Amino acid sequence: MSAGAGGVGGPGGERRRGGSGRSAEDGGPRMKATRWWFRLLLQLYPVDFREEMGEAVVETYEARARDAVARGGLPALWGVWLRALLDAIRNGPAERVNPAVWWRRGGNWGRDAELVLRRLVRAPVFVLAMVGTLTVGLGAFAVVYTVVHKVLIAPLPYEDPDDLYWVWRDYRAFFDLGRGWTAGTDVVELAQAGGVIEEVAALVSARRTLGGIPGEPPAEIKLLETTPNLFGLLGVSPVLGRGFLPGEGGPGRAPVVVLTHGLWNRLGADERIVGREIRLDGEPFTVIGVLGRDFEFVRHAGIGPPEAPPDAYVSFDYDLAGTSPGQGSYAALVRARAGTSRAVVESTVEAVGRIIDERDFQGLGLRLYAVALGPDLVAHARPALVVVGLAGGILLLVLLANLASLLLVRALEREREFAVARALGANGVALVRATLLEGGLLGLLGGSGAAVAAVWATRALVGLAPATLPRRETIAVDWPIALVVVATGALLGLLASAAPAAWAARTRLSSLLHAAAVRGGGRGRLRRAMVVAQVALSLVLLTAGGLVVRSFERLLRSDPGFEAAGALTLRVPMDRLTDAEADVMQERLQRELATIAGVTAVGAASALPLTGDSDQADLSVPGAPGNTGNPETDHLLVDVIATRPGWFEALGIRLLEGSSFAPQAPQGVLEALIDEQLARRFFPGTSALGAEIQIAGTAARVVGVVRHARLYDVHADGRPQVYYRNHGDYVSQSLWYAIRTSRDPASLVPDVRAAIDRVDRGLAMADVLPMERRVAESLSQQRASAALLTGFSLGALLLAAMGLFGVVSGSVTRRRHELALRLALGADHPRVLGEVLGEGARLIALGVLLGAPGVYLAGRVTHGLLVGVSPWDAVTLSAVAAGLAAVALLACYVPARRVLAIEPASALRSE
Amino acid sequence: MTMDRDRRAATSYLPLRPVEFHVLLSLAAGERHGYGIIQDAEARGERIDVGTLYRALARMTEQGLIERAASGAEEGDDRRQYYRLTRLGLNVARAEASRLAVLTRAARLGGLLPEGAA
Repeated sequence: MSAGAGGVGGPGGERRRGGSGRSAEDGGPRMKATRWWFRLLLQLYPVDFREEMGEAVVETYEARARDAVARGGLPALWGVWLRALLDAIRNGPAERVNPAVWWRRGGNWGRDAELVLRRLVRAPVFVLAMVGTLTVGLGAFAVVYTVVHKVLIAPLPYEDPDDLYWVWRDYRAFFDLGRGWTAGTDVVELAQAGGVIEEVAALVSARRTLGGIPGEPPAEIKLLETTPNLFGLLGVSPVLGRGFLPGEGGPGRAPVVVLTHGLWNRLGADERIVGREIRLDGEPFTVIGVLGRDFEFVRHAGIGPPEAPPDAYVSFDYDLAGTSPGQGSYAALVRARAGTSRAVVESTVEAVGRIIDERDFQGLGLRLYAVALGPDLVAHARPALVVVGLAGGILLLVLLANLASLLLVRALEREREFAVARALGANGVALVRATLLEGGLLGLLGGSGAAVAAVWATRALVGLAPATLPRRETIAVDWPIALVVVATGALLGLLASAAPAAWAARTRLSSLLHAAAVRGGGRGRLRRAMVVAQVALSLVLLTAGGLVVRSFERLLRSDPGFEAAGALTLRVPMDRLTDAEADVMQERLQRELATIAGVTAVGAASALPLTGDSDQADLSVPGAPGNTGNPETDHLLVDVIATRPGWFEALGIRLLEGSSFAPQAPQGVLEALIDEQLARRFFPGTSALGAEIQIAGTAARVVGVVRHARLYDVHADGRPQVYYRNHGDYVSQSLWYAIRTSRDPASLVPDVRAAIDRVDRGLAMADVLPMERRVAESLSQQRASAALLTGFSLGALLLAAMGLFGVVSGSVTRRRHELALRLALGADHPRVLGEVLGEGARLIALGVLLGAPGVYLAGRVTHGLLVGVSPWDAVTLSAVAAGLAAVALLACYVPARRVLAIEPASALRSE
Repeated sequence: MTMDRDRRAATSYLPLRPVEFHVLLSLAAGERHGYGIIQDAEARGERIDVGTLYRALARMTEQGLIERAASGAEEGDDRRQYYRLTRLGLNVARAEASRLAVLTRAARLGGLLPEGAA
């Protein structure tokens, strides 16, 4: 009937046995189409079935088609086509769901593993590159994940922490404070409001000198004074003893104390401590309980990050209802009824606040508002953590690109191996399995390395992190995280090897041998794409890193108004002394400290720079030239600091005009120094010396003007400052001491302790730190962010450089023959070198171009972390781009130089 | 003893699917390739789809009922794969045949088959 049918057949009986005996190679276009159709249908079957049976199936269909054509012509052929379609639709998916044979997927794993291991041993560079990349990249990711998870995500260790809220008062109707403490009466009012507010606790921070410990010098500890319901409200109970009973608060309460696990350890970790007595500021307190190791609680502060955790808890010995409504010094912690929505709690607190405002403040608008505990705790750390988290994510992407590149190169190298293996009849499935096994094994190794690295790196990072980082002490790589890291490593290994594996499975022998002949092609493009992506991502990371580092460097160089180097600072609490006693004691102590060898100056004051613990008061200067005449603006809220002679000298705060406090106080007049801000404000162009100022209604005479020594942040001025002489009627008992020395400040500590003992053995010394350490600690968040981002961006840069190196190196190898030919035809070496370099440069340029929008995003995200640097800082951005380009070009140049070694004659001969 | 174990091993494969019995029946007469088996089945009045057949061949090879013959194609297509029965396959085919015989006898006794019908 047709050409296709012409060759078919033979005698009927013969056909029965042998089928149509002719080879499939002949046959016209109709037969070709038929074969194409059957091959297409075969795609419905799973790959391993195709591998095993595909050719036989197609051959059988062809035989059937030939017979059909012989019997019934074209309509019969169409019948076979249709029937084959129905057959494939039924059996293909069925085979996928329910394989006839679990082929050799479950094959000989032990032998495969052995082969993979042997292969890996023969490629140590590849193994090192893979495992090293994974260890570094995943390790970094694990560290970031740990920190972000523990700080931002992990639930707080209280019962239903989502139902806990802090309540703040907005004082802005009075003065510039949007978030201040509440009054004791507010807490009482909130507790009585009922409804969705189940319970309210009030908290006040205090410092006490802990004594009565045999063999231990007195030490200052941090207390939280609280209503007795605190532990019940949080839903925690002490591990030893008990918490406060409902009656253990208010006037005449028994003096009882609950210790934290940390303080209990410091006191010797005695399990029988319950019932013992300790002395706080000389008063006996009975220990009734010890909190668990996992218990962590901090009082949130109105301004700045949450306070440092306390050492012990005592209950109020007075009635909150009897306190003054104007005395705002209580932090209020509310537990809402379980499951109440945030909005309802917020509106309830606001409503109570309005009643109080009407009753106590004549409706001035001092509103109360609630903030959920979790978000409030992390509010300060969040911007930095978000940036670092994003950076970690980007690094992971760069890492993935690198892994895939490595494995693609590996697959490329093994092309011939695959081809030969397939030619020798190796099962495609077995090749896939081996490739996946290799990836998974390497991933597992890298993941394990990363887990170990992460444990150490996290410890190092926590050391760098600010002491106020929320839940700092809980930040460590735990078992679940380590397991996740190892599993992620294995998964990444599998994923990265999936591409080469699929490729190994699909390629037919002919195309493999073909590809081995003309290397590169599609996968070369893929690799280039990876490198471009790496360059782009690195640019983003480097920008973020560069900006943060530059901001940090600005911070380091910023002038805080005092000389930190060479000063030791500490506090000596004397709260239980009378003013007169304290004055005498302070005088004696200062003299004793001055006698220490190597000490050049000693001073004392009520507030130390960077601690922010000064009092504030209203200041006015009647008759000053700078007055505007408007009483509103001529009264300023200033930081007031009680100061003893020697303070400015000991801290290196420069005197700009007049003199500092003389050793002897003059009679009948209160001396004061003002800072440059106040001098400019009230005495522009004239001298402030001798002027009379009013500090909270008390007159003082200005004897000098000093630099503004930053009380809060290293990088920003605070409120204007007034220093008054700590003497006579104006004595603060507990003062900070600054000791300037030519020695290493830290080495002074034993001498200082001895000096204090000579004055009074009952005095504690607290917060002992060289001033330089204080500066460093106030920058610790920025330092940690800068360190992490630098590490990440340099890591990304390194990975990108490795990628470029690989691409260019591969390109030189691949084009060796071509390049040799061109050299032979007269091109000189520099020109060919330039061309190879140009190839790399194009990739870099493309990456930088693609990364540009990312740079914009990096600026937006890091904005909140930057001090004194614009996110579009031209110097930083161009330095980053130039640096990236330089490193990238170098990564191209090194392998490209191999071009110079090509000798056309020998290269061409060897091909 | 050995026979007993063989029979027990063989009966564990029963009942066979129709396509499997066709394969065993064909191969009992000698080595066949896939299309040969299909043609044999068609001669018995049954159509087997190619996909169904090859899934069965794969399964039965894995079970050890049949095996690939080295090569039966001197002049044929080199893609063509021949199969033959294993000893186990032969036993299973016999067991299935006698099972069917029992059923056929029962059907005849039950009046479902006219006397003398095949």
